[in-house]
Amino acid sequence: MRVFRVEEIVSGECSGEAIVVDRKISFYGEVDPEKGVVRGEDIVLKNKVLVLRGTRGSTVGSYILYALKYYGVAPKCIIAGEVEPILVIGCIIADIPLFKVLDYRSFIEYLRVVKNPYISYSSSEKTVVVYGEERIDDSN
Amino acid sequence: MWCNRLYLTREEEAMYNGEYGEATALAMKIIVKVGEVMGAEKLVKVKHVHVSGVSYYNIREPGLLFLKKIVEEGAIARTYTTVNPSSIDLCGCSGLFSRELVNGQYMINRVLEKMGVKPVYTCVPYLVRTPSPGEHLAWGESNAIAMANSFYGAFTNREGGPLTIASAITGRTYYSGLHLIDNRVVEAIITPPKIVDEALASLLGLYIGEYIDVKPMIVDAWKWSFLSIKEFLASTAASGSHALVVLDKITPPNTYRVSSSLEKISIDEKELRLYKERVSEAIDFKGYVLAYIGCPHTSYLELKELIDYILSHKRVRDNVDLLITIPLHYTSLLSDEIKYLVDKGVRVAGGVCPIVSLLNKKPDLVITNSGKALFYLRKLHGFRVAIASAKDIVREVMLN
Repeated sequence: MRVFRVEEIVSGECSGEAIVVDRKISFYGEVDPEKGVVRGEDIVLKNKVLVLRGTRGSTVGSYILYALKYYGVAPKCIIAGEVEPILVIGCIIADIPLFKVLDYRSFIEYLRVVKNPYISYSSSEKTVVVYGEERIDDSN
Repeated sequence: MWCNRLYLTREEEAMYNGEYGEATALAMKIIVKVGEVMGAEKLVKVKHVHVSGVSYYNIREPGLLFLKKIVEEGAIARTYTTVNPSSIDLCGCSGLFSRELVNGQYMINRVLEKMGVKPVYTCVPYLVRTPSPGEHLAWGESNAIAMANSFYGAFTNREGGPLTIASAITGRTYYSGLHLIDNRVVEAIITPPKIVDEALASLLGLYIGEYIDVKPMIVDAWKWSFLSIKEFLASTAASGSHALVVLDKITPPNTYRVSSSLEKISIDEKELRLYKERVSEAIDFKGYVLAYIGCPHTSYLELKELIDYILSHKRVRDNVDLLITIPLHYTSLLSDEIKYLVDKGVRVAGGVCPIVSLLNKKPDLVITNSGKALFYLRKLHGFRVAIASAKDIVREVMLN
């Protein structure tokens, strides 16, 4: 278990199974808004805590987040390393809680060593706690 | 009131708290949150909003659903608001654009017009309402933003579609980026070769967009035609993320500053010629050719000159379409002239942009005078594109 400080951008609850996309993603083009999956990868977003490095690309991306919610396949919340207007606006109009993790590098490294990580947000502490069994065998 | 790190006036606070209805509260929340993330300390009133991201080809059902929802919740434009081109030919006279998008686009247009947006459907809002120096705007559409900041000396950031909607509803944007004079600082001075036409201006723009990141000033830009300036700025904003390119003796004083350490860059004709060989195809008529003028949409004078030149020719060659895209309201202003063009085989389309639309027939080659069209038609649609001035295009594709 480890604790990470976050900044609350769009408030709300955030706890659940984590899914990690460690790159800057363009929701427009890379995410199927009706199926709620990242195209070309078997990443299902529905009800997950989506961890992202950040977002890029067309501002239509905000509407894709809205569509994910509309079709009932949106992530529960998003924790990102970098936040910019496309992501902020998308989360506001879709009512998806959004957080910026202050030390993204350590956060992502820890998520890598934990099997099936589970994340829980504390609004009073402004932190997220990552639970899960740490892998002992780190052959990398 | 301080809302987290951002100061709001009493009226803005009332909007934020829902006293102006749900849609306004949501729009205010968008602006405040983006402002916080962008480090703004307050909001600023905007005189003119230009809404982008309205093409059904791009935003499809997700965008339509959102726009419908906020208008149902009572969204109205509280400030003067214009709108970008749509994905369908709104005068319906060219016959080149797919009808597949008609229903979805009409729904979007109806929703926007219900909101009180001026139905100009054009990417040249500066020709609908001229911006003043120092005026704050919230514009989407990269070419228009570059013109507003660089040619007219107005202040606007490069905004995305949903943010322009929020600005239309609140009449505000966040006060950061290019709204502050301290962020409008020239860091390089560029001496270009002699610009003889808009095709060369386009190439120069694409080149600067691709290779230069800092805000540049262009020497001798006052010698260029309005058309060359328009195509140049649109190109810098397409291949790069430029929003302010200071034009020597044109950009109004006191709307920018000059850094004490200026990088000096010189671009010669040979460099642009080599660049052209890399980005532009050679003109041939082996298959179906689309000649395209009007990206960004033609100005009134540009269109009048073009009409005169076209009318001195007989007709468009076989297996070629000559497309001209214009702001929607010009279709009624120039209805007689457009009829003459149609008689010559020219396709005139109003309120539409082929970059954000679907053509009925895929061209084997596009010839255009626009660096922006070249950039996006290649990148987004995979077309082969050649660049030439409007006059050269007419000479090439029309019989005498």
